[in-house]
Amino acid sequence: MIPIPIILTAVVYSFILSILAMGFTLQYITLSVPNLAYATIAFASTYLTLTFSLMGMVPYTAMPFAFLLGGAISYMLYKLVAYLRNKGTSIVGLMMATIVFDLIIYAGMNIYADYLAQVFKLYAGSFSLSEYDLKIFSIPAILLVSAATSIGLVVFFTLMLIKTKFGIAMRAVMENYNLANVHGINTERVLSIAWFFVGGIAGLSGSLYPIWFAMDPWVGARMFISIFAACVVGGLRSIYGSLLGGFLIAFSEIIVTYLLSIYFPWIWSYRAVTSMLIAAVALVEMPSGIAGLIQKLRGG
Amino acid sequence: MIELTIDILTFFCVYVIITLSLNFQHGYAGIFNLGLYFPIIVGALVAAYLPGRLAMLIYNIKGLDFAANNAAVISLLRPNLSSDPLVSIMLLVVTLAVAMGLCYLLGFLSAYPSLKLPADYLALFMLCAGESLRVIGMQTDWLAGGVMGITIINPFWWLREYSYYGMALFAITVTAAVILVYERMCNSPLGRLLRSIRENELTSASLGKDANRIKRDTLTFSFTILGLAGVLHAFLMGAVVVGGYTRVDFSFWPWLMMIIGGTGNNLGVFLGTFGLVIMRRIMIVAKHYFWFLPFNVVWFEPILLAAMLAATLVFRPQGIFPEQPMKVSEYVRKVLKLEAKE
Amino acid sequence: MASRTKSAGQSHNQLDDEPLLRVINVSKRFGNFFALRDVSIDIPKKSIVLLIGPNGSGKTTLVNCISGVYKPDGGTIMFDGKNITGLPIHEIVRLGLGRTFQIPQPFMRMTVAENLLVCGQDNPGESFLLSMNRKKWRDIEKKNLERMYQVLKTIGLQDKADNLACELSGGQLKLLELGRLLMLISKMMLLDEPIGGVNPVLAHNIFSHIVNIRDEFGISFLIIEHRLDIAMKYVDFVYVLSAGSVVASGTPREIVEMGKLYEVYLA
Repeated sequence: MIPIPIILTAVVYSFILSILAMGFTLQYITLSVPNLAYATIAFASTYLTLTFSLMGMVPYTAMPFAFLLGGAISYMLYKLVAYLRNKGTSIVGLMMATIVFDLIIYAGMNIYADYLAQVFKLYAGSFSLSEYDLKIFSIPAILLVSAATSIGLVVFFTLMLIKTKFGIAMRAVMENYNLANVHGINTERVLSIAWFFVGGIAGLSGSLYPIWFAMDPWVGARMFISIFAACVVGGLRSIYGSLLGGFLIAFSEIIVTYLLSIYFPWIWSYRAVTSMLIAAVALVEMPSGIAGLIQKLRGG
Repeated sequence: MIELTIDILTFFCVYVIITLSLNFQHGYAGIFNLGLYFPIIVGALVAAYLPGRLAMLIYNIKGLDFAANNAAVISLLRPNLSSDPLVSIMLLVVTLAVAMGLCYLLGFLSAYPSLKLPADYLALFMLCAGESLRVIGMQTDWLAGGVMGITIINPFWWLREYSYYGMALFAITVTAAVILVYERMCNSPLGRLLRSIRENELTSASLGKDANRIKRDTLTFSFTILGLAGVLHAFLMGAVVVGGYTRVDFSFWPWLMMIIGGTGNNLGVFLGTFGLVIMRRIMIVAKHYFWFLPFNVVWFEPILLAAMLAATLVFRPQGIFPEQPMKVSEYVRKVLKLEAKE
Repeated sequence: MASRTKSAGQSHNQLDDEPLLRVINVSKRFGNFFALRDVSIDIPKKSIVLLIGPNGSGKTTLVNCISGVYKPDGGTIMFDGKNITGLPIHEIVRLGLGRTFQIPQPFMRMTVAENLLVCGQDNPGESFLLSMNRKKWRDIEKKNLERMYQVLKTIGLQDKADNLACELSGGQLKLLELGRLLMLISKMMLLDEPIGGVNPVLAHNIFSHIVNIRDEFGISFLIIEHRLDIAMKYVDFVYVLSAGSVVASGTPREIVEMGKLYEVYLA
């Protein structure tokens, strides 16, 4: 029987990862540029949660600020990438532009960690905020918050896509950028808002991470592997596929590795790498992911 | 002062090998790979694992583990290797051969997904592969000392007080050979073939060229040379700390060096590497001049890299020395070494 | 329909009765759309065959199936006695069947000279190991260069040799496409609209080259063209394609007399 803490870890992790995967795919679909700074943007807000907790507040109060921070950074990144794209820069150049932001945020995170170390006399190289968490009926609040946030975001997003004018405009832009332009949709505005939103939810999800897990400045780089794996498994161009992929990868990383670690105890530290293997196999065997498989079963 | 110069020079050598390999892969063949550090780490890991243990076998040192009792083993190996140039050189050669052979294989295996994936996802895949290898290296103590790292042998200890210079001279010689090899290859019909595949794979195929095989061979060759760079770097440092092989230092900086120098132009890449290596080394040495920075100067490097990358992308994406295809008369004179016709 | 769809081989007096290219009952569909239905054509040796039909009739799809860009869903393609159905593009080219593209596809950032030189086959300089040793490929390169100069002269682009392909005009790019094929020593060439968008003088120029190549080297051509006023003068046989099927075939005169053209193009 799998211990409760492991199951809870898997659940929290899957909610966070699935939202992150969905956001990454959304950014990819809109501009055909994978955002290499994505994980870093998401995990930059962990330091906000840390700061708020150190100041004595409930960690969740950081959430709205995390949304704004992630959104703002993502918005600025969009402006740079859109500018270069209009100039005719190749995909290589556009990905380099995302790397520019990745580097700045990476440096920023570390500088802030150093600053915290000075001011709060705390080694922010590795921290976990689980002790600052609230308990609701002796269940860690993070469980409920991460579930509510993820489910809420998916519902909100789906409704927005279907019901609102903005959502329809966004679908049009994702489908065919030029055609949407010709039809009078302000594509630049739609994409700026979309990227702000995605950055925001990335920041939101990221800010929840340290409330359960241990955090260090390299988590972003490692999570990028898992996010990539989730998107590959789900289907590179499918938003809901990535959502599903996020759950699958999260569960396999935690539950499957746990089960394997009963026989091979050393495997537990290599969790992130197992996602990489799954991604590699998926890329070779089913390149269009689960979404592609479903499409094939339906139509083809 | 001499030490500083040699330090810069050797650092430059390693990076030239890396950037020329990148230019070969991307500037010539058009393969977009952000996980450059993957074969480099492989080379470093081989250098961390193999020569020390082989030396232990040769000198019959038992009861100790190279990784766990690193300091003790090194102190036992040093006197032995200091008086045994033959074994030292043999260890160096074997390490290089194994590392390059392993990288050749890995390049071959990596080529399989690389040819099926769209360009941007290949780049990501290689980046994740490199990061995964780094995670593995940092978690596994017996491989390369895990997070703490591991000290390795110096194949030039037999030069006593000149052992560092010996290693440096070796590095310079190897680099010169690599530069020569790449120059020859790039200015030959192969270079032309690679560029044609970069420009238009379909047209290339319609000229009878097997684009997939050629891209695979390019990647494999490039991997092998990058493994060489990893081994050299490890021996020059005298130690392997896997955590130090970050994507910023060994993937993104080389990309910037190539882009600023001039993608597709070996000379441009060479000069770009030179300029940036000098800049970085001097920054590290002249740390105290950066007193005005409110933060640790270590973090200034990625910010500087970001700023330079952004500036290049916006103002001069083709680099300082853009690619210049050769005129026919030039080609005939310089490459074929014949009299110019017509 | 037997009299309407004669195979090209039957209306020729050939010493060698076996056609160079045999397309047998080839079909190709994209989802529910049938681009080609049971298409069969023959191209004899040393001949120029024209493939015509309205837009969307499947001409380029057929050429794509023959040249290996697409894999046919049904049927067989035999070239020079070998079954080439579904082979990769570069293998089909190596067997002697080359093609040009409707929209010229040059190597943009390479010079005109390089665009032609890269066509050389079996050049040891293109192998990884041998490229390092100049002695191994110097002589072949010399021959390659000589041939390139000849081709440049033939297509009239001598003074553009050092220009990048992206600097050429549309007509010059069409000439470059032809030039590339001249560098390849093929047995047959598939040309997709070789005179599309080209002025009449140049168009006749190009077709004269094609006829000369057929006469001098014995190379066969299958040409897709819309400019019937110019093309019909130079070809030996015509196939008419409509909605994915061959609806008529014969010599240019027979086709015109059949009157089928009006139905097919105006329907």
